[in-house]
Amino acid sequence: MTRLRAVLFRLRALVRSRQMDREIDEEIASHLAEATEEYVQQGLSPEEARWAAQRSFGGVTQSKEVYRQVWSFGWLEDFSRDVRHAARTLRRGSAFATASAATLALAIGSSTAMFSVLNAVVLRPLPYQSPEQLAMLWTEDPTQNVREGRSARRDVEQWRTGSRSFAGIATFDGMSVTLSGAEGAEQIGVGSISPNLLPLLGVLPAQGRGFSTEVAEQQQRPVLISHQFWQARFGGSSDAIGSTLVLDGRPSQVIGILPAGFQVARLDAALWTPHAMSDGPRTGQNAADTQTWFVVGRLRPTVTFEQAQAEMSAIASRLNDRLPAAERNRGISVLPLSLQMVGTQSRLALWMLGGAVFFLFLIAAANVTSLSLARSVTRAREMAVRAALGAGVGRIVRQLLTESVMLAVVSGVIGTLLALVCIRLVRAFGPGTLPRLNEIALDVRVLGWALAISLLGGILVGLAPAIATLRRDLRSSGELSGRSASGGATTRGIRRALVVAEFALAIVLLVGAGLLVRSWWHVTRIDPGFRPEQVLVMELSTPTTFNAPTQRTDLYARVLDEIQAAPGVENAGIIGDLFIDNTRDQVVTVERDEGTVSEGLRLRRDEVSTDFFNAIGTPLLRGRSFSAGDSPNAPLVAIVNEAMARRSWPGRDSVGRRFKLGPRNSNRPWFTVVGVVADMRRQGLEREAVPQMFVPLAQDPPRAVDILIRTSSDDPLAMAGALRTAVRRVEKDAPIYGVAPLEQQFGVYLTQRRFQTFLLTGFSVVALLLAAVGIYGLVQYSVATRTREIGLRQSIGAQAGDIFRMIVGEGLMLSLTGLALGLMGAWWLGRAVSGLLFGVTPGDPLTFVTVSLLLTAVAIVASYVPARRAMAVDPIVALRVT
Amino acid sequence: MTPDKSDVLYGTLGLLVIKTLEALGPLHGYLIARRIEQISGDQLALNQGTLYPALLKLEQMGWISSKWGTSESGRRVRIYTLTRAGRKQLEKEEAQWQRAASIVERFLKIAENPS
Repeated sequence: MTRLRAVLFRLRALVRSRQMDREIDEEIASHLAEATEEYVQQGLSPEEARWAAQRSFGGVTQSKEVYRQVWSFGWLEDFSRDVRHAARTLRRGSAFATASAATLALAIGSSTAMFSVLNAVVLRPLPYQSPEQLAMLWTEDPTQNVREGRSARRDVEQWRTGSRSFAGIATFDGMSVTLSGAEGAEQIGVGSISPNLLPLLGVLPAQGRGFSTEVAEQQQRPVLISHQFWQARFGGSSDAIGSTLVLDGRPSQVIGILPAGFQVARLDAALWTPHAMSDGPRTGQNAADTQTWFVVGRLRPTVTFEQAQAEMSAIASRLNDRLPAAERNRGISVLPLSLQMVGTQSRLALWMLGGAVFFLFLIAAANVTSLSLARSVTRAREMAVRAALGAGVGRIVRQLLTESVMLAVVSGVIGTLLALVCIRLVRAFGPGTLPRLNEIALDVRVLGWALAISLLGGILVGLAPAIATLRRDLRSSGELSGRSASGGATTRGIRRALVVAEFALAIVLLVGAGLLVRSWWHVTRIDPGFRPEQVLVMELSTPTTFNAPTQRTDLYARVLDEIQAAPGVENAGIIGDLFIDNTRDQVVTVERDEGTVSEGLRLRRDEVSTDFFNAIGTPLLRGRSFSAGDSPNAPLVAIVNEAMARRSWPGRDSVGRRFKLGPRNSNRPWFTVVGVVADMRRQGLEREAVPQMFVPLAQDPPRAVDILIRTSSDDPLAMAGALRTAVRRVEKDAPIYGVAPLEQQFGVYLTQRRFQTFLLTGFSVVALLLAAVGIYGLVQYSVATRTREIGLRQSIGAQAGDIFRMIVGEGLMLSLTGLALGLMGAWWLGRAVSGLLFGVTPGDPLTFVTVSLLLTAVAIVASYVPARRAMAVDPIVALRVT
Repeated sequence: MTPDKSDVLYGTLGLLVIKTLEALGPLHGYLIARRIEQISGDQLALNQGTLYPALLKLEQMGWISSKWGTSESGRRVRIYTLTRAGRKQLEKEEAQWQRAASIVERFLKIAENPS
């Protein structure tokens, strides 16, 4: 109780320290005045009385000092004094302080920004209830190289009834529907989800209600809208609930609004509609049986992923027994949902970049440490004076640490501001393929990271000078007289070690960047199988009333005619859907010389117009292209790509052969191969083309298509307006959307790689510069402090060349040591990120040799400048100065 | 410092202060110092400056309180008063001292006449 009171008293005193000071001054003054007065009354002269009063009082200053100690916390006093002193010192050495603070701020800022990305994309839990229990369930087929395939409804039904690991299993898929309204028709992304999906994820609509599983509701066509759609379409009004949207020509009722930012796995849609899960009325012609879904499940609380995987594998083998022999290779894989959100490659890339920035931070800290060490040598005298005046070693170390931590805190604040700017930039310009980027923010964890890394920086920077101080005999007379020959062996040792470490770290980064640049080089040199330059893509949807295939065929033909007539258009073609995001495996029956074979094949099927291959620039290798003769009533024909030709008719000419979709005994029609085209890497340059078949547009016109227009302009987008008008002239109710140059659309596949490569290259260039500055500073300083030695050497006959070699040799020796260590580290780390490489091995000799040469050159240049100065030392001056 | 005066025994200044305040009522710093000197018959070599940290410590412990007032000669001074807690503390310390003193006394007697 009493102690608590004492603490409170001190705390109060701390706040009012100035007033306390004033009061004790006044009290002592009154005391002395009273005493003087009494002595005067005793008969002393005023002068003598004052002296007598002083004498009986004792030392006023000591008294006040003791007094202050009583009311203050001693260490806090020391601390605030240290802080004030540090501020003064830093201000005085402002060049040092500015350089260090700027370096550290940049390092802290970039690492904090990177951490915020890692935090949002990888570390922060998914915005669902108990997200660690959520799993994606995939159908896999190793013989087809299908690892993460969608699953058919009846399979999911079997999984649900047969498994006990899951508390629930739900399905979803993304699709596209036409939303028509007063402003015209538009194509819009819709998430089709099983009614139990939201409860399974633990997500409640922000307003309204979710889907119920009742069958009756399926007929009412309820729809949930995204927060974004609600804001854009309804202006955030609560009238939205209960209103009607016309989707694919049929009215649907809005029953709820989802929370902002809601998405399932990576599916982000404006509208969400339910699909019947089981036992519902089968809509369409058995569409439910052929449709495949993404499947998400919630594990029961006590079940691990391994247990679930074991159970599902057993179920898969049971299900396989019922399948035709050709399909008995199916498996089921159970993977954490978090892996689906951010693919392993993105994860790896983020960790790599995060590590790279941390390396950069270490290099920057090493540089600042080196600077402050150099400075501590020049401050040796100050320290010696302090020690002579009675400061203990601990006290001096504490002061040095306070200085550096303060430096780091200032840098940390600036760095955090920088990070804020970076975060904005990343949000604005980051690769769109990276999920959850919109969640990047400066949250508590990121701020904690910034604080931690700032303090770490401060301690790293302050520790080395402190150690050097401890090692030095503070009171040595040499230090006091201000003569320090070459600045303490410890200091030099630490600085050399720092330079070695900097080079090692820089090399790791440079090798990493080199490998990525080489991968980039390989990727961009791949022939995609078509020529995307000067091609404009626009998506066209037919009006919902165009139910007859001939209507659509006719529309497409007229649209193509109109477009081809437009000025600046060289050619135009139509394909059902140019971009492949997920291919499905199916059974294909093929006629070969040795007989008819059924086999599972991961096949992509597209409808194309006669001129499509011309327009996109894909060469026809054999056979013929489609012609007007391939009409709906003509025999069914197909063009296949090389991958399919190779797989289905290995070593034989495939033109003229027949195949059909489905098993041998199915009654589906036969296609006759009339031509073979080159493989098109439509899933991005880095992915091999899957087997593809093309059928004439006229024989099976889809409801929506991609139109490809080869223009004569390098900026095809400039023609978008004219082309849009051309289409409108043909049919004003057909929605056009997604107009973009093919190069840009296709380039999306490359953005992530470009982003990684660009960032890592940037980091490593900065690292190289920092390392160069580090070695330059060290050599420069070594020359400055060894002026006398150099003078001596010259006076006993050393030539300028000898001095030059000595100085450059020192720098080179350090950088080569760093090089050796760095190359080992790079080789080791390179294997860890080999998943990000393309076409190069982690130990790519070209990269390693180039980087080594580059670094050696940089080290020589950085040592050259100071070495020149050393050569210019005038021996007479050098010897006299000291 | 005159050699025949003895130093204030370590740790006893606080006791002297609160005893003085108990006996004489509220006083300002200089008067406390003077009274201590006078009561000791000018036998104590009190370094008056040490009084103020002691006063502050006593105030922190809550045994005395202070407020600004005026001395007889009209100066602004801080006047110290014994609090109730201080009175209790005084009783405790007085008893302790007497016991300690009597023990010491008994030892000294033994030393004088070993029996």
